[in-house]
Parts: sequence; structure tokens; C-alpha cells
Amino acid sequence: MKIIKTYQPDLPAFLKIYLVLSISLVALGLIVAPAQAQETEGFCLNCHGKTDLQMTLPSGEVLPLNISNDQLKISVHSSNGIECEACHTEIKSYPHPALSDEIQTRRDLARSLYQACKKCHSQNYTKTMDSMHAQAAVSGNQNSPICTDCHGVHDVTDPDQPRARVSTTCSQCHAQIFEQYKDSVHGAALLTENNPDVPVCTDCHGVHNIQDPRTPQFRAATPELCATCHANAQLMEKYGINPNVARLYNLSWHGVEVSFYKSEFPTIWHENAVCTDCHGVHHILKADNPASSVNPANLLVTCQKCHPGAGPNWTGAWTGHNETSPTRTPFAFYTEAFYSSFVPVVLWASIIYVALQIIRATVNRVRRSLS
Amino acid sequence: MSPETRQTSIQSPIQIERYFKRFSLRQRLEHLVLLLCVGVLLATGLPQKYRSMSWSLSLLSSPERLERLQTIHHIAAVGLTLLGLYLAIRTVVLLFQKKLSGDMLPVVQDLRDAGQMLRYLFFLTENKPKFGKYNFEQKFTYWFLFFSIGLMVVSGFLIWFPIFFTRLLPGGIIPAALHSHSTEAVVTGVFILIWHFYHVHIERLNLSVFSGKLSDTDMRSYHAREYERLVNEANLKGNEVSLDTGEKP
Repeated sequence: MKIIKTYQPDLPAFLKIYLVLSISLVALGLIVAPAQAQETEGFCLNCHGKTDLQMTLPSGEVLPLNISNDQLKISVHSSNGIECEACHTEIKSYPHPALSDEIQTRRDLARSLYQACKKCHSQNYTKTMDSMHAQAAVSGNQNSPICTDCHGVHDVTDPDQPRARVSTTCSQCHAQIFEQYKDSVHGAALLTENNPDVPVCTDCHGVHNIQDPRTPQFRAATPELCATCHANAQLMEKYGINPNVARLYNLSWHGVEVSFYKSEFPTIWHENAVCTDCHGVHHILKADNPASSVNPANLLVTCQKCHPGAGPNWTGAWTGHNETSPTRTPFAFYTEAFYSSFVPVVLWASIIYVALQIIRATVNRVRRSLS
Repeated sequence: MSPETRQTSIQSPIQIERYFKRFSLRQRLEHLVLLLCVGVLLATGLPQKYRSMSWSLSLLSSPERLERLQTIHHIAAVGLTLLGLYLAIRTVVLLFQKKLSGDMLPVVQDLRDAGQMLRYLFFLTENKPKFGKYNFEQKFTYWFLFFSIGLMVVSGFLIWFPIFFTRLLPGGIIPAALHSHSTEAVVTGVFILIWHFYHVHIERLNLSVFSGKLSDTDMRSYHAREYERLVNEANLKGNEVSLDTGEKP
């Protein structure tokens, strides 16, 4: 009873009559002229426009019931004629029906009300069901995000306008990661110059069906993920970045191992380095930045993460994302040059010599049998 | 070192094949160990090199099997290295004792033989060169494998213990060793398959390295100069036969 009482603020009798009448009128109006917009909204705001309207939930939390008209005005829904009852489907009359007993907290209420999103956005809603966030909810984390946590409630606007908004949205929960990202080469370009090319969170992690990035599958797919931009010659040219890094990585010891695991044992964790092991994950910096983990000054320490005990010469074993060259990697260059002629010479010399011997032996046998 | 002969009398109506001792038991065992090690190394190495091919995937069906394959490869590698060290030490010792046989050393006659062989193959002469104990083809096989296996052992240890070796050597040798190890293996494999197999299995079935002996007929047709030398030696000594393996006692 308490719920109903708090949910139904005391109103003077004349206002009640007025409300009933106007709801009927609106209903009539909707039947007669369904195209007419912003009817219920103004109507609901009669009460919900009041700044002190609130109720207490069974948990004791106070739920403000005030809806700001300013918020509504900027929302993509309201401005397109999608009004309160489109989402608040359970409210059809006044007094409003009581909340279900299952709803104890504000979070319970939010998790129940956001189901309305799937009415229109079923595709994205379904995608979220496969996400890491949905899994967290299933395993009991009620704070794992629902549509409204990222998109807003009454003030839903374009989630990626400006693009930096995506990253700040994620930072509401992933604050630590955001701290790393904001100073990275990607994050800084995004936040300071609204760069259209650098990845925001969702470019790498996906949008609605965000997957766990700690799985062997995600790890093995990392080079491919980075290559979506870093193998794009046109895009890389803009920033003076070598577009062959991914191709050359795939030929390296690390790359060969990783692609082998990816195709054969995708579910088995492996330790061979992928891009992020050396460059960092969220705090990726330009290689010439003195703080970068792949800056020549820091490279050995980075290698030692996986190759403990490696000495200062060790970094020379890494051909980098470079073709072998006589100046940069002379040992590898001259070895490759040697074999590029040695292999065909041995192969063809053996074949020709043996072929000549077979011909000669055959001719001899033919002659002998004819004579 | 007594020659193994089954010849008794030339007047005999029955043709009795005479055999010449070609390899000692020790040499035959050395070849067997070499064959085993190289075989195992190729069988466990090539699937690693061509790991994305379907035939190697059937072998490498799990990371554990890949690891086991590498372990077998390493064991065979140690075996081959020990064989190489043993031969090297033995060679040095024999050299100091002045007992080292020079049969395998390339000499100018080999070049002449090769020239005549080419003329013969191009139908410019009807006479095959008369070869000594080891012909130029066999010497070429020996020295090709000598350098090839040497390179494989060195590059193999470099990529097996890269951290250790780069403490002393520049890091750039590691990718070079990796490329060399991987390519040299294929070159060696192809060379053995085409060159060596033709000469010992197809041209004629020459199993002397397993049996240790070579028939009189084979000696006369493939090692004529050595045959003549041995017969002359026997005649000088007045013996009927005194055929040496070329190895000093």
C-alpha cells in the first residue's frame, strides 16, 4: 500500500476530474487525428514537469519523477514524435498502476523499463544479449550496462556525435582504461582534435555485441583487428605510417605462430606476441615517443617481458616491421640473397645432371638392344 | 682388414662373384646414425616449416604434439651434433697420427673426371671416366652434406638458444639463422632426394654402405681405376688378392 501511496501524489479532486477528462480527450484526439504530435508529452509534463515530484522505492531510494523539458527537446525520440507512452507502455491511465513487487531499487526499475527499447530496436537489443555485458548481468552483476546507461534515458541523442562521446560514455564505468586511452596516440587525437580516423572504444571492441577481449580468440584476432586500419595504405599515408606492418608481422616468427594458432587451435591460449603485447593496449604511443614501449630505448625491456635474460643485442634479432635491408639487417639480407640463388642453382643443377645421366643410360640400353 | 673374397679359381666353370670390402663396420654405423638423425630431423622439421599445409596439420593436431615434435627434433639434433663432433675429433687425431686417409679429398683428377663425364653425357665421347675409390659425384655428395649439415647444426643451435648466443653475437644473426636453417633443410632434402638417391638407388642399387662390400662387377664398372690399382698392388705383392679398404690399419 505504501508504494501506491507514494506513487500517487495527493491531488485536489478537481484536478483528478480534469486529468481523467483530458486523458479521454487526448485518447479521442488520437483516434480522430493520429498524426498530431506532442500530445501526451505535454500532458504527462503537467505532473512530471514539477521539480519536486518524487517517490520512495521499497529499498528506501528516492526516485525523482521530474522530467526536464530541455532534456526531452534534444532527444531524438521526442523530436520525432515518439512520446512517453511509446516507452512507458505500462502506464495507460491515471492513477498509474502500482510497481511490480520485484522492483525494489532504482536499478531494478531501470532494468525493467529498458526492455521497452527492444520494441523498436530489436536488432541491437538482440546483439546486446550476446555481449560481455549481458553475461555479466546473468552472472549477477546488476550494474552491467543496459541500453539507457550508454544512450541516456529521456535525452537520447546520437551516441557518436561527437565521436569522442563514445569514449566518454564507456569511461563512465571503465574509467581506468579511459585514463590510459586518453593520452594514447589514438585517444589524444580523438579528444583534442576530434580526429575522424583514430579508433574509439567501439571500433575495436564492437558496439552492441561487445565480446570479452581476454579470450584466446580475441587475442589471435588482434593483428587482424589492427590491420583493418594499419594495412589501409591510403589511411596510413595520411599519417606517414608504414602500411606494410601487418603483412611483415605475418611473416615474422611471432606472426607465423599466431596465425597458426588462430587457424588450428583458436580456443587455446598462446604466448606469441601480438601487436598489443609490444605496443600496449589502450596506451599505445608513437614509436618515436620516448615513453613508448617500442621506442628503441625501451624495446629491450619490452622484449624481456617474454624473453627474460635477453641481452642488449637481442633487439637486433627483431627485424622490425621492415623488409630486410643491407643496412638495417645485413645478416638476414645477405643470407636471403644467397639462398635466392643457391636454392635454384642446386635444384636445377641436380635435376639437369641426373636427367642427362638418365638420357645417356637409356640411349646406351637402346643401342645395346638394337646391336 | 682382410679382404672378403669368395673367389677361388678363375678356371672354375661356375662364375663366382668376388666382393671387395668397401666400408668398415664403423663407417657403416656412422652412415646409419647419420641417416637416422637426418631422417628424423627432416621428418620433424619439415612439418614445422610447412605447418599450414594439410599434411603437416595431421601431425600437428595439438600444441602438445607440436611440442613433442620439437623435442624429438632436438634429440635428433643432439645426436647429429655428437656424430659430427666425434668425426671431427677422430679426423684431428688421425691427422696428427698421420693415419688419415685422403680418399675423400677433392683432387685435380676429379675435375678431369667431371669434364670427361660431361663430355660422355653430351655424347662427345663413348668412354666413361675411370673412377677411383670415391668418384667425384660421391665426393660432391660428401662435401655438400658436410657443409650443409655444418650450417644446419650452427643455425639450429642459434635458433634453439637465441638468448644465449645474442649475449655474444649481434642479434641480426637470429633471423638470418632462422632463414638459413629453414631453407638449407629444403636444399639438403632436395639434393639427397635427387642427386644421392639417383646415384645409389636408380643408376644402380648400391647398398655397399650397409653391407660394407662391393661386387667385382660394380668395382670394375664404377671404380675401374681403384680396381686396377688394387689388382696391380696384389700382383706386385704376389698375392692373389690383397684388397684394401683404403683405410690404413
